[in-house]
Amino acid sequence: MKLLNLLTTLYLLLTLATLLVGGVFIYQKLESEIDFELGMELERQIDAFAGRIAQGIDPEALQSERLEIKVLPSEMEEESLSLRDTIAYHDPMNRAEKQLKASKSVKIDGRHYRISYFNLVVETEDITETVVYTMLIVLLVQLLAVVFFFRSISNRILRPFQHTLGKIQQFSFQKNQPLVLEQTNIREFAQLNQFLERMSAKLLKDYRQIKEFSENISHEIHTPSAVIRGKLEHLMNLEITEEQAHLIHSAYQNNEKIHRIVKSLALLAKLENEEFEQPEPVNLTQLIKSNLEMLQELIQLRGIELQSAISKPITVPMHPHVAEIMINNILSNAIKHNQANGWIKVELTEKELVVKNSGKTLQSKPNDLLERFQKESQNPDSVGLGLAIVQQICKTYGFDFSYESESQVHVMRIRF
Amino acid sequence: MKILLVEDNPELTQNICQYLSQQGLLCEAVATLYEAEDRILSFDYDCILLDLMLPDGNGLQLLQTIKTAHPQWNVLIISAKDALDDRLKGLDLGADDYLPKPFHLAELLARIRAIFRRSKLGGSDMLEFNEIQINHQSLEVTVLGKLLDLTKKEFDLLVFLLTNKNKVLSKQAIATHLWGDYTDDLANFDFVYQHIKNLRKKICAAGGKDYLTTVYGLGYKFDSNAS
Repeated sequence: MKLLNLLTTLYLLLTLATLLVGGVFIYQKLESEIDFELGMELERQIDAFAGRIAQGIDPEALQSERLEIKVLPSEMEEESLSLRDTIAYHDPMNRAEKQLKASKSVKIDGRHYRISYFNLVVETEDITETVVYTMLIVLLVQLLAVVFFFRSISNRILRPFQHTLGKIQQFSFQKNQPLVLEQTNIREFAQLNQFLERMSAKLLKDYRQIKEFSENISHEIHTPSAVIRGKLEHLMNLEITEEQAHLIHSAYQNNEKIHRIVKSLALLAKLENEEFEQPEPVNLTQLIKSNLEMLQELIQLRGIELQSAISKPITVPMHPHVAEIMINNILSNAIKHNQANGWIKVELTEKELVVKNSGKTLQSKPNDLLERFQKESQNPDSVGLGLAIVQQICKTYGFDFSYESESQVHVMRIRF
Repeated sequence: MKILLVEDNPELTQNICQYLSQQGLLCEAVATLYEAEDRILSFDYDCILLDLMLPDGNGLQLLQTIKTAHPQWNVLIISAKDALDDRLKGLDLGADDYLPKPFHLAELLARIRAIFRRSKLGGSDMLEFNEIQINHQSLEVTVLGKLLDLTKKEFDLLVFLLTNKNKVLSKQAIATHLWGDYTDDLANFDFVYQHIKNLRKKICAAGGKDYLTTVYGLGYKFDSNAS
């Protein structure tokens, strides 16, 4: 929902509620005010009639349909003015109407009269009509004002906000430019802009640092690791005892593991930072074929049966080097985690690449294996980054990677 | 064969020079572009091993100088910068190969030999050792005149072992050589062992000596003194 629409709706609801409550009050106030005024008027009339009776006019002669004079026992106390609604015949309208009846008793010359005088009341419906009518007009004016306000004025007020929003959407790490936002006099927006500018600068700085780190780490760790490897390779070639050989072997294996981890992490960082150049069409069919050829002997050595359906030439936009890593990882994963005399099925269509292989039943959830450093294999030399790399590659190029496993069948699927 | 190593890390320099000279190559080393230019002016080399990140500049500059002055010299770039850009730029500028660091010393030697074979001998040389003959052009191996039926990987493996004869080659070095850098963890899955086993069987079946030996589970070597 747009902010403006939300504000408009809320404002109108609030106005409506206010008008309703206000209407009720106005209605009540109006009614009591009218009754009060009318009562006063009727009392004046009664007083006038009482005056005329006092002047000696026969009360009988004064009687009319609006005036009722009744003689009360003289020992009764005088009644003060009382008002009540009643239904009485109204001559001009020729029907019974709701009327207000004012009664008061007076003692004139030792005689006690109760004088009641009727008059038409303003009808409730009339009051209601008036109130509703007025309120509707107010509502209409409000509506027009609100529409005008939100469509023109608030658009102007919110413009810095819209501008900021647009700038944020355009923000990208590749451009490597911090946000520069418009100056605004509205304090909240100014604060927001200031904060965003600071944050974007900080983000870029952190990003650069991580980028530099991932660039440097391959150099900084690879070099000592290469030195260690070289020294160990020399050591291997000296006259050594079996015990020494085991020590060298263990050190060597672990150094190799460091090397693989750093290499894989550097690759992951590079993928995450989208540091690879523009994708170009890569012929996956050819790539898979050449990879299978390279791994063919391994497949044969393990007695694995390979079935492939990859005849049609399929191209996808990728960086060639990255595509190779992806295919390599998937295929070697299918070989490594296979079992003797198992099978691999490779299927490539325009929509997806599916690699199925036989293998041990998984102990952990298939999705967990996509996480970094999660591995099923008991082999301590296996790092557990292979599928994480495949997943990151797929994420980078907008492919959908899934890994499923049902008892002894493992399915890796990439949807383009 | 005379090699000039341009590398600023002294430990690495020592590793490389020691290994190459043990294998009969003449190796000189310098640590800066400045020194390298100086050497290039006054001496003659077959192959330059060039690191790209040097304290006084980028090795690609030197590559240009070498290729203009001595187009017949081979250049092998060794760099920790695994950036594809550098790799392509280097090869564009005339480098013969690009070996990302860290590499196995055996791999370095194999690459140097391969470059040398390609450029100096037109790829036609025969690698011979006692009863074994390897023809690089036809990818054929004969033992005592008998042709061996080797797969492509077994051929590569034999060349790799023989090039680094009498050196212990780790499973990782062999796996990297055979399947590339990103599949080197295949080394831990016995594939190397099975290749070695098959190769050994084939050589012995043809009447060759059992040159391929296992060294305490560390790796394998081509033992020229095998009986």
